[in-house]
Amino acid sequence: MPDEKKDECLECKKKRKEDARWRQDFPVTWEGDNYVTRREMVKYLALGSLTIAGANFVVAAIPQVIKAAPMPRLRIALASSIPIGGSKLFSYPTEEDPCIMVRRSNGDLVAYSQVCTHLSCAVIHKEQENTLFCPCHQGYFTVEEGRPYAGPPTRPLPRIKLEQQGNEVFAVGVEV
Amino acid sequence: MSTRQAQGTTLFTALLALIGIGVVVQLWLLAASVDAFLRHENRTSVHAAIGSAIVFLINGLLVLYVFNFDRKIKAH
Repeated sequence: MPDEKKDECLECKKKRKEDARWRQDFPVTWEGDNYVTRREMVKYLALGSLTIAGANFVVAAIPQVIKAAPMPRLRIALASSIPIGGSKLFSYPTEEDPCIMVRRSNGDLVAYSQVCTHLSCAVIHKEQENTLFCPCHQGYFTVEEGRPYAGPPTRPLPRIKLEQQGNEVFAVGVEV
Repeated sequence: MSTRQAQGTTLFTALLALIGIGVVVQLWLLAASVDAFLRHENRTSVHAAIGSAIVFLINGLLVLYVFNFDRKIKAH
């Protein structure tokens, strides 16, 4: 009987030894595996900082690398067809870009994108108030510069560059 | 733990917090940069990128400083 017990113990020792060998091969516990030291955290943060700085440079470089396609020159109206205080709707540079042209009180023609810079509703010209008005959220823009002066919009309307040749008015570009 | 080691732990924690704040500022700059890009205001994106690079340099210097400090403590 004592010999049998001794044999068992030897078996246990052997097993423990095997366990130890297994642990030697895979020494990392789950707790140890998930533990992040302060040094590692600092390294990760520094790498994150580098990545974000890189992303910022990419965002800044995109407009320098990808130049916008040249704007078309489109005939949009006859100047004589728009009276002082009157307006005309047109599309520029594509059919999906609605714009509005207004003749100011001094006789000059100005044109803006009709898409409100708040939530993209279409602005309309209010002749009596001499203003561009967005009916969705009561946004007001000046006719002179397309600048917002009342309501939720904070950014001006993109201005359409116009050229007049004789009686014909052409749209030649967009000033954002 | 020696006084120097305790000092090192405090320094490490403080610099970790500083670098963390720097990364948050960079994230804010990135968000502003993307916003400006979508509004076609390219100058803002360039300024945000320069600001982000400066914050990264500061973060890098802090990391170098703290690892040099660590090396000195281990050498003692």
